[in-house]
Amino acid sequence: MEPRKKQAHVVSAFRRTVIIALVVAGATLTLAQTAERPPVKIGFMVPLSGANAQNGRDILNGFLLLLEETGYQAGGRKIELIVEDDEGIPAVGLTKARKLIERDGVHMMGGALLTSTGYALAPYIESQGIPMVYPVVSADDLTQRRRAKWIIRTGYTGSQPNHPFGEYAYNTLKLRTVATIALDYGFGWESVGGFRRTFEEQGGRITQSLWAPLSIHDFAPYLAQISRDVDAVYALFLGRTALQFVRQYEEYGLKGRVQLIGMGTTTDEHVLPAMGDEAIGVITALHYSGALENPANRKFAAAYRARYKRVPSYYSESMYTGGKWVLAAIDAVKGNVEDRNALLEGLRNARPTDLPRGPVVLDEYGNPIENIYVRRVERVNGVLQNTVIATLPNVSQFWKYNPAEYLKQPLYAR
Amino acid sequence: MDAANLPSNVLRGWRRPVFYALAVLLVVGPPFLSTYWVGLLTQMVILAILAMSLDILLGYTGLPSLGHAAFFGVAAYAVAVLATRYQLGFWTCVLGGIMIGTLCSAAIGLIVSHVRDVYFLMITLAIGMVLWGLSNRWIPMTGGDNGLAGIPRLETHAGLPFAGPIPFYYVTLLVFAVSAGIMALLVRSPFGLTLRGVRESESRMKSLGFNTWLHCYLSFVISGVFASVAGVMWAYYNGFVSPTYLDLTASSELFLMVTLGGPATLVGPVIGAGAIVLLKNVISAYTARWLLILGIVYIVAILGAPQGLWNLGRSKRT
Amino acid sequence: MTPACLALDNVSRHFGGLKAVDKVNLIVQPGERRAVIGPNGAGKTTLFNVISGEVRASEGTIALFGDDVTKLAPHQRAVRGMARTFQITKLFPNLTVMENVLLACEAQDPRRFTMHRPMSSCVDLERRAEALLAQFGLGTFAHDTAKNLSYGVQRKLEVALSMAGRPRLLLLDEPMAGLSSGESESMLAILRNLDSAVAVLLIEHDMDIAFAFAERVTVLYQGRVLTDGHKDEVSANRTVQDIYLGSPIAE
Repeated sequence: MEPRKKQAHVVSAFRRTVIIALVVAGATLTLAQTAERPPVKIGFMVPLSGANAQNGRDILNGFLLLLEETGYQAGGRKIELIVEDDEGIPAVGLTKARKLIERDGVHMMGGALLTSTGYALAPYIESQGIPMVYPVVSADDLTQRRRAKWIIRTGYTGSQPNHPFGEYAYNTLKLRTVATIALDYGFGWESVGGFRRTFEEQGGRITQSLWAPLSIHDFAPYLAQISRDVDAVYALFLGRTALQFVRQYEEYGLKGRVQLIGMGTTTDEHVLPAMGDEAIGVITALHYSGALENPANRKFAAAYRARYKRVPSYYSESMYTGGKWVLAAIDAVKGNVEDRNALLEGLRNARPTDLPRGPVVLDEYGNPIENIYVRRVERVNGVLQNTVIATLPNVSQFWKYNPAEYLKQPLYAR
Repeated sequence: MDAANLPSNVLRGWRRPVFYALAVLLVVGPPFLSTYWVGLLTQMVILAILAMSLDILLGYTGLPSLGHAAFFGVAAYAVAVLATRYQLGFWTCVLGGIMIGTLCSAAIGLIVSHVRDVYFLMITLAIGMVLWGLSNRWIPMTGGDNGLAGIPRLETHAGLPFAGPIPFYYVTLLVFAVSAGIMALLVRSPFGLTLRGVRESESRMKSLGFNTWLHCYLSFVISGVFASVAGVMWAYYNGFVSPTYLDLTASSELFLMVTLGGPATLVGPVIGAGAIVLLKNVISAYTARWLLILGIVYIVAILGAPQGLWNLGRSKRT
Repeated sequence: MTPACLALDNVSRHFGGLKAVDKVNLIVQPGERRAVIGPNGAGKTTLFNVISGEVRASEGTIALFGDDVTKLAPHQRAVRGMARTFQITKLFPNLTVMENVLLACEAQDPRRFTMHRPMSSCVDLERRAEALLAQFGLGTFAHDTAKNLSYGVQRKLEVALSMAGRPRLLLLDEPMAGLSSGESESMLAILRNLDSAVAVLLIEHDMDIAFAFAERVTVLYQGRVLTDGHKDEVSANRTVQDIYLGSPIAE
């Protein structure tokens, strides 16, 4: 991880120079043209320091790429982006949101990575009535039992990819017994919960559910507990824990004996380049893959690689796509972002097309209906990638269930 | 005579005008500030209560706690649980928060009041980690890593006729003034002198006939009371709680507030809390390298004012 | 008959194999002025620490005014009327002289737990502190920080602190050590002027000082009581002279 971090800093310094140059150039041009309306201010926050800094940076980079492509312009107004570091600490996130809204006077908000930050911000965003886009926070209830009027999600719910994946695992992968191991927090519970529900409805059986603390440093005790007699192990990790789990899974001789499947984050491109052959063959589900074969993604991935010298991760794509909702909403109100109700309407009704992840529409709860991709890690041209092996189209957060019925049931928990 | 009996001649020289200027700013400033700055000021004032409470322990009694944020966090969690899971009324939540935080410090004080110096540091660190772990893992009660959201606004929960950042600020300021007044009286009291005695020479205190264990214990509990008060206010201010309230980062930042501001002065920690909140929020708005700059600022401050900002120009303690 | 102020019965203290204090018997009567002398390493300071409770006795019993205090902590012994000074000065270095003495004055006052009013409102404690400062000639230093005092003044403060609790038994651990001859004189004058009801047990390396102060002298050698008696008898004792002249004792 270390060398890549360093590289990220270099990139960011370069990027800043480019942005400044662009902004200066753009400002000069507009000033010359017209004495127009002041810029639309967009407040954006993700963790840029601490353990989740890389994921936060990916999200930001995707957004910056989109803004650069569109010339920092929408609805006939310039766009001014104000970025804050929420450090992955909910209280800091709230303070930064207050700063962006109360001091900088932003018209719209975007960002947040962690569920805890997402939940912490929601009441404040509601009280301020500022439209906000959550590109990543995946806590089911944010668009289910604890909906917020002013927040839309352009990402996914934790259980969303897992509902169809559970059925796929039973019907296509022909798995009958699965042991799960996941990080012990909301994202883990909801993802595993979604998988368990559909997998067991099909007739499969979850034989074991292990939960690892977020601070875990050694998987040995957990790997020792996993039964060797199951058809597959389902794993949910990300960042450092993903790297370590997949490596130790091989070291403990489980790779090759028990198929490893899991949530898309476990092999997402934010960690995949740092993995080795131990990752090959892992099958996961998510609404995106860097290797997705469609024109929009080929264009996006190429631009992203050229700009940041990295493969785009699902985090990178999250706000590239989420940003399209932001721009579409500003276009919809013709730049009149001061009318917040209209802006919110514009956001909820936006229908951006040509998205790297494929077609997306928001449901009436403010959550995307989108394709879920089953991906298998392969080495292509010497590089690991998440090759898409199945596309499960138009998946809603409620899967095949009736939303009203679905919402009467409790949230997935441990 | 009178001046000499004050802990450290609080208001001598440049400190007097600075003190009054700060007091005036805190009292009359907010109506002239934007809501964002009122919010930051509210944070500073709440964390100032917390920093002063640690000062009782660290500065006056000489017991370096690296787990002090735990009581702050426990009280905040108590408010959150009582208000959201049990939907209890305002005073039940406030008193419940303070009581649970205090009981927690009273129980832990029994364990830690026997040890000193680096052992005290380590055992408080360990206990702080345990409570942090509990907030993370006692999921049915605490919500785990997600924390608990949905704490009602203080103004509506208390049934106040007014609401908004400025009323909340003044409620906080009132709590701060009362807490600071009590703590200031405490450190000037005969009991307060015994705490400084323990810090200076515990064996001499024993040979004079003091049961120093009891004095350390009381100091620990009192400082737990005020940490709890701050925790209750923090829960209402943010409207949610999360494990980060009581993690090691929180405790060490708190430690820094006291040492940077000037231990054993009470005013110093207030300034330390203000300075750190200000620096974090202002610097991070201008550069992504804010952590680096903050680190440099701390190092310069510690080198330039090893006794803390409020002790600048005073002779060194040995 | 009133009980002895201090009675040590077969008190020993071992550090591993080393018998720092070995079966010491010692009785100090109320108001008595007693010196304990002995060469370096004779176990004087350990004996003191055992009496005051800093160090627990390995065996034997210690009685204070007739009560067994062998298992009590230092502060509990202090409450029973014992006070001590330290050979290496133990003051409250960052507090003023006044605060030092105030602390000593409140040690056995219930107001040590008072939290709701300032120290300055305890007028009688301050009076006592001032009187004590006057008694030890420290009045002019009242507002100085203890660590800034000269060594001689610090030693006086050391004794003043121990007298603040109105003890009935005072243990003095080499109070003259390191003092100039002038300072020694004035310290000796202060010690002589102590309330005659207070029993004083003085540890001294220097025989001249011990003999100038005490009536009765106990000689400690290699952890044992070598002899015990009126100062004239002791000073005439051959063995004692040998020890102090450095000639070896027949083993």
